[in-house]
Amino acid sequence: MYNVWENTLAEIEQKISTSNFSTWFQDTSLISTDKGHIIIGVKNSFFIKQLRSKFLNIISEALTNNGVKVKDIEFEIQTKSKSKIRPREVTTSIDIKDRLASTKKAFKSTKSQTTGLNSKYTLDSFVVGSNNDLAVAAAKSIIEHPGTSYNPFFLYGGSGLGKTHLVQAIGNEIQKNHPDFKILYTPISDFYAEFVDYVLKGKGKDFNNKFRSLDVLIIDDFQLIVNKEKSQEEFFNIFNTLHQLDKQIIVTSDRLPSQIKTVDERLANRLTWAGAFDLQLPKFEDKCAILRAKADLDGAEIEDEAIEYIAENVNTNIRDLESELSTILLMSDVRGLTPLELINNGSIKVTRNAKLKPTTAKRIVEKVSKYYQLNPNELKSKSRVANIKTARQIAMYLLHEELSMSTTKIATEVGVKDHTTVLHGINKIKNDLKLNFTLRDQIAEIKEKIYD
Amino acid sequence: MEIEVAQEKLAKALNNVSRIATGKVTLPVLNNVLIKVQDKKVSLITTNLDMATIDYLPVSSSKDGVVTVPARLLAEFVSNLPKSTPVKITSSDNKINIAAGKYSSLINGAPADDFPELPEINEKSAVIFKVGIEDFKNSANQVLVAASNDFNRPALTGIHFYTKNKILYLVSTDGYRLAKKVLVKDVKSEIKVTVPASSLQEVLRSIDDSMEEIELSFAEDLVRFRLGEVEIISKLIDAEYPDVDKLFSTNSEINFEADRDELLRVAKLASLFARHGANDAITCETNSENNTFSIHSIANEYGENDSIIETKIDKNGKISITSRYLIDALNNIDGKKVSLGFSEGVDKSTGLAYPLVLKNQKSDDYIHVVMPLSI
Repeated sequence: MYNVWENTLAEIEQKISTSNFSTWFQDTSLISTDKGHIIIGVKNSFFIKQLRSKFLNIISEALTNNGVKVKDIEFEIQTKSKSKIRPREVTTSIDIKDRLASTKKAFKSTKSQTTGLNSKYTLDSFVVGSNNDLAVAAAKSIIEHPGTSYNPFFLYGGSGLGKTHLVQAIGNEIQKNHPDFKILYTPISDFYAEFVDYVLKGKGKDFNNKFRSLDVLIIDDFQLIVNKEKSQEEFFNIFNTLHQLDKQIIVTSDRLPSQIKTVDERLANRLTWAGAFDLQLPKFEDKCAILRAKADLDGAEIEDEAIEYIAENVNTNIRDLESELSTILLMSDVRGLTPLELINNGSIKVTRNAKLKPTTAKRIVEKVSKYYQLNPNELKSKSRVANIKTARQIAMYLLHEELSMSTTKIATEVGVKDHTTVLHGINKIKNDLKLNFTLRDQIAEIKEKIYD
Repeated sequence: MEIEVAQEKLAKALNNVSRIATGKVTLPVLNNVLIKVQDKKVSLITTNLDMATIDYLPVSSSKDGVVTVPARLLAEFVSNLPKSTPVKITSSDNKINIAAGKYSSLINGAPADDFPELPEINEKSAVIFKVGIEDFKNSANQVLVAASNDFNRPALTGIHFYTKNKILYLVSTDGYRLAKKVLVKDVKSEIKVTVPASSLQEVLRSIDDSMEEIELSFAEDLVRFRLGEVEIISKLIDAEYPDVDKLFSTNSEINFEADRDELLRVAKLASLFARHGANDAITCETNSENNTFSIHSIANEYGENDSIIETKIDKNGKISITSRYLIDALNNIDGKKVSLGFSEGVDKSTGLAYPLVLKNQKSDDYIHVVMPLSI
């Protein structure tokens, strides 16, 4: 999203001393810019007085430079109980507004009342890469023959990686091919809400019938299924009926069903009958492809170097990737500079999990040992004790992933003789990671410590 | 700027204001004290952006002006000067010259413009209370003991000032105990705010024997304390305070009285053995046949302790609590006799075990509530 206040702050930061900036502008927010009446949120009264008497002109100037009309500026104490309010409606000058409108057009909500599907999600706009090609292949097969090969289709992966996009696209494509099909897309939370609603009205049976007549059922965010035995049972029944009738069932979740504590074992088993497909974080090349596709879709011009810069600096998810791209494109329009020029002159900083500090092999070994409460020498020993062995393998894996060291070099770092042992260790952890979420969390924690 | 003032007065004022000029914040000028002279009124000002201390200094002669210099340095220099010599401070550019008898020094400061302006209390909308200084000091101390220092729950790190049925109460709780004190009876205005415990402690530190009354003004997100020559302005804590009256039930089935000093001694003895586990648990028991109240504690390595107080008991019961909380409570209750009360089992309306309630036998103004440990 186009965040005026962050850009304004970036500009103010260049004009005043760092100590002044970090003292007075930390924890400020832009509450409203309605018709030129600017309201800025601050921590407490001590800040209002100072900002008003010393920095009013600078704020007003910086806001104007970022396309915000300024008539007067008010300050308001931002209570913590109210979560930080982002500007609801930013009144920018006319040409930016037009630009905003044209880019926004594509995103106009086109949600269908009956199916819950949003037609903006199409398979064409889903960028295929090595991180998701399997899932997409399965999706295509489902579109051609719903209810046969991949049923149920279970899709999992972290937030912002495109789960919702992919399953909605499946729904939309099936609808296109079979206009008579009854399709329903619903987040699991809405499923509950509706179930409770029906039961309260004493129409539990109608609820069943409604779902049992479907041809395609898409359930999103399945991980939110929590301790609601009755509705879980209901879901299980509907699931079984539809499955027996060879109706397509599609379920997304941020992890595997067996990792969701509250899910009944039988249900967990059935959900992954036809296999589980995951969406992973895109690799550098995939990220570039996604950004390029998105820019082309918007008809925007952006240099390859700028795309590479964004791809390199956003390591979180696709959603963040796209939002950074939109910000830069809009900034480039406002300022009349190309994206690369903006990046080079420092007006734009991409900070999503910005580039990590370099680390060393020694540090990785040290942090892994410390995490598993071992002495680095123990880790490097020949011990075959299970926990030491796992720690050693994790160290190998991290050395490989984080430093791209050769297996021979890794072997000397962790005190094993043979590079094939290292290879085995790395592959073992890689495989385990796919299924073992505790391990995934542990490794994430260790990484945090390494780069801390 | 120029002032001439007695060493003792200057040293005291500087010591008082320099406490909060700690430089924990990123802005270097906040380590400084602002010395401001206007129409013969001299004020020394420091702030850490959560609160500000202003000390008005009586001087024998002065010339208008403002200057800001490192507060700690100036305070330490002045307090080491010989007593009862007049100290003369003159400023030129951003420096000050201090002269006292044979001693003199030059301290570098910063432009006074860099020093933040302080927020002001809106006098028209402010809610104002005046309290005798001794009452205020005792009451604040009585509740400060139970305030939390866990900044994950910001509300509990403050002292809650609230009015109910025309009474102004002070309340604090850390979730395990609660202290509640009547500060003013029969107030007209209504209020419900939370003052940071650290600010209140700063107010208490500024109190000296010459002061008689303290004025508290609350407006928007600020509170101002005026006491003698000192003015302290603090932000209020911006978080919902829990409804403590609902949280702790103070109706007890088992009630008895005890001599405060005797009970305190017994509690301290028991606490010596109450070091097993993290909770310093002691077990208190009432016995209606022998009319005894006993405290039992055990430390596996060292031994154990059983102490008994004889007092009239009407019902048998048992409760385990943290020894330190009992000692804190008794230390803060005034009067010779304390009344105690507790119930066994669980309060159905809150789902919590009944607490131990302590107060002065003669007055309900101060109550101290300690939650039991489940053992």
